[in-house]
Amino acid sequence: MKGKLAGLVVAAGLFLCGTAAWAHHAFTAEFDSTKPVKLQGTVTKMEWINPHAWIHVDVKGDDGKVTSWMVECGTPNTLLRRGFTRDTVTAGMEIVVDGYKAKDGSNRANGRDVTFPDGRKLFLGSNGTGAPDDKDK
Amino acid sequence: MTTKWARIVVRSALLFGAAVVLLSPALAQTSPSNAKAKTSSTGAVQTSRVPQGQPDLEGVWSIASLTPLQRDPELGEKQFFTPEEAAAYLKKRSQELDFDRRDVPPDEDTARAYNQSWYDRGTKLGRNMRTSLVIDPPDGRIPPMTPEAKRRFENAHAYFAAHPADGPEDRTLGERCLNFSQEGPPLLPGGYNNNYQIVQTPNYVAILAEMGNKTRIIPLGGRPHLPQSVSQWNGDSRGHWEGKTLVVDTTNVRFNDKSHFGVNYDGLTDQNLRVTERFTRTDADTITYQATVNDPTVYTKPWTIEIVMSKTEDPLFEYACHEGNYGMFGILGGARADEKKAAEQGHHQ
Repeated sequence: MKGKLAGLVVAAGLFLCGTAAWAHHAFTAEFDSTKPVKLQGTVTKMEWINPHAWIHVDVKGDDGKVTSWMVECGTPNTLLRRGFTRDTVTAGMEIVVDGYKAKDGSNRANGRDVTFPDGRKLFLGSNGTGAPDDKDK
Repeated sequence: MTTKWARIVVRSALLFGAAVVLLSPALAQTSPSNAKAKTSSTGAVQTSRVPQGQPDLEGVWSIASLTPLQRDPELGEKQFFTPEEAAAYLKKRSQELDFDRRDVPPDEDTARAYNQSWYDRGTKLGRNMRTSLVIDPPDGRIPPMTPEAKRRFENAHAYFAAHPADGPEDRTLGERCLNFSQEGPPLLPGGYNNNYQIVQTPNYVAILAEMGNKTRIIPLGGRPHLPQSVSQWNGDSRGHWEGKTLVVDTTNVRFNDKSHFGVNYDGLTDQNLRVTERFTRTDADTITYQATVNDPTVYTKPWTIEIVMSKTEDPLFEYACHEGNYGMFGILGGARADEKKAAEQGHHQ
């Protein structure tokens, strides 16, 4: 029992710690890792908001019916620092979203990997933003 | 930068400036400082001073680096990497943190959230080449918690495991947009927004943290701390100059058992926390920042971190966290969906 509780505590600790280390909030609490989705569609708008930006995409199904999806990304501050602007993603662009569907069943997903249809990353950049210590010393 | 963002940044800067002017009319008599370091004939580095004669800490500073908070135990008391060790460490760490990789189980893949371009941890070690941010104790590790604090810590985590999201209050302070490790004290780096703007007047120093968008306004010169009954998420800070070092003493830190020191370390704070920070302008491009955490009811001994703050020409961007925190709806909705699923599974058994 003691071992079991300790395991639980360690797991919870890693969970709290890990989620905070990676994103503003726990994506595993919001999105269902058993429900991967791959969406190809047309951007209707991108919300440059904090703590996370959202890309809105219309996806046409095989039956021709269009479904609107919201795709969660990261803080726009990092993108701005990398030189991207609101003109980088505009309505009408075709993108592919590879992520996980929201647990609550709504048409939301995380943008685990967002690319153009030819596979290029939507926000292609190096790991560094050009911040002072990313430059060679 | 888009016009809209430029407007937001300028408006924020003006509001921030206006707040400082209100705090200290003397600022109106000063001009912007020009931070330049000079080397004297003796070879000693001399840093510039703001017009009121105090050492110059003004500007925008970054604490992003891949230096770990705590030292790898295998390194023992080794404080600094050699260039070869640093290269090997950075190669390994950069691979671990490359979240464009899709080579982990779905749970972990989901937790990686989004593409690498959204992260901004830096790609180098801190300029001091240290093996950990913790410089004391000598093993570079945060000391163990007291038995009572450990008990509280374990209780908090066991409760969290059983009640991950009954309501928003069960979530972390960061998820609730209330407080972030980058804000401090002590300042600790995170996945992004590791930037600060420092503004000085004769009687105050103001530190605006990009993450959280809060400004810590630090009175100088002996004003007593707030009464013990008043607590604030970032505490109550008082500053004074010791030679060229700004020393900031912080008490009255608001806490709960989910309060934690940082993104890299999930520990506790309580009402006995006292943080002593030391900001020293070491050359034109750097401030050496040290912070000692002393909380005798949580840690068995005090511990100290050191971070080299590097000057950047980048502006700060607004981080209005509550503005679009749709994620909280998603988390609570997700918890309700999990409960429903568990109830249905129980019903069918």
